[in-house]
Amino acid sequence: MKTLGLLLLSASLLSALEIPPADGRTQTTTVRSKVLELAGAFANDGYKIRDGYWAGILEPGKPQFLEVNLFSGNTYWFSAAALAPARTLSVTVFDENGRPLETEVFQDGLTAAAGLVPDASGRYFVRLELVEGDKADFCLVYSYK
Amino acid sequence: MPFRRALFAFSFLLLSAGLLPAVEPMTKEQIQSVIRSEAVTIPTPGEFFAAMDEHGQPNWTQMFAPKAAGPTSSREQMALMLGVLVADGYIAVEAQDGQGVKNTGKDIINLAKKLNVNQSVLSRGNSINDFAENNDWSALREELEATQNEVKLSMAEQKDQSLVILVTIGAWIRGTQVASDFIAKNYSPGLAGLLRQPAIVEYLLSELGNLPAGIQQDPFVVEVRAKLQEALLLVQTKDRTPLTPEAVTGLATTMNSLLNSITGGKKES
Repeated sequence: MKTLGLLLLSASLLSALEIPPADGRTQTTTVRSKVLELAGAFANDGYKIRDGYWAGILEPGKPQFLEVNLFSGNTYWFSAAALAPARTLSVTVFDENGRPLETEVFQDGLTAAAGLVPDASGRYFVRLELVEGDKADFCLVYSYK
Repeated sequence: MPFRRALFAFSFLLLSAGLLPAVEPMTKEQIQSVIRSEAVTIPTPGEFFAAMDEHGQPNWTQMFAPKAAGPTSSREQMALMLGVLVADGYIAVEAQDGQGVKNTGKDIINLAKKLNVNQSVLSRGNSINDFAENNDWSALREELEATQNEVKLSMAEQKDQSLVILVTIGAWIRGTQVASDFIAKNYSPGLAGLLRQPAIVEYLLSELGNLPAGIQQDPFVVEVRAKLQEALLLVQTKDRTPLTPEAVTGLATTMNSLLNSITGGKKES
């Protein structure tokens, strides 16, 4: 998974481009494009990107948790992006009992990702947190192989 | 920019090395209030099949045996069948059967037309054909999910929201039927562990419970709920252990029976 460093670097440089503010559906489209740039780095390494996505608004001090169902044997990357005025995001994965799991982590300002190989199939939780900055739109997608 | 690049590479290495601040476990309240979003909480059949490939060597060509839908005017049955066809598409992709994918794509679009979905969905059929023509299996997996999502979006826009969950359920039933059939005949703990999916079945049952009363009384919906409740008892295991061989066989029987009902003719109320 660490061989993804260079690909992630390219995605990071792309995501550093300033994106003008927009409203409503346009906002979701914009932040989704941003997260797909990051996830695209994993696609280059053979990961398949889910078409489905999770989008909403993230506020400081109010992390959001998403339930996902994973299969042992697969490797997963959860990628997230936010728009300004958010500044730093983090993605953390927990097991079904709420215990934090060791993951590969990528973090670069408005984009972040966590990668893991689940040791058992079943329910997991993904936490998305605004570490720095103010209330903003976010989008999360995941990839698997 | 070189500085930014170096800084990024350094932070990536640090973070990859696990030098992260300690993370607190989730509280009970946080676990109880997690968000469940169908588009990401429910895995695609493709994800399930990819994991099966890691634990065994399924003969997908043999397992790709699509069933034609029986004649029906029930929109609920058609929605379930649409989901079954989507899962068939993933099986055809695993089997790398280009003609099978094309045929399934055509069946999906024909059934979607009967459900009056938006014209934009129909162009997906062409994309499926093009990707199948080029043996682009990876793109086909994404296209099948995108087609399913577009059909669901169109259903929601037409105030047919209740059909959306039935498409998801149909795909889950077909995926689980083909997997449990294979695992029952080729049992291994690794494969059987993949069928441990209580959270998915609980989600599907909970969404069925939210359907309008009229639809809940539909004979197909009644049967689906009863069979999913049976399935839930079989896929729940203690301490994340795999299903037993008996539970896998039971699940295969339940899913086969349900699939036969969905692909059969009209059910009388």
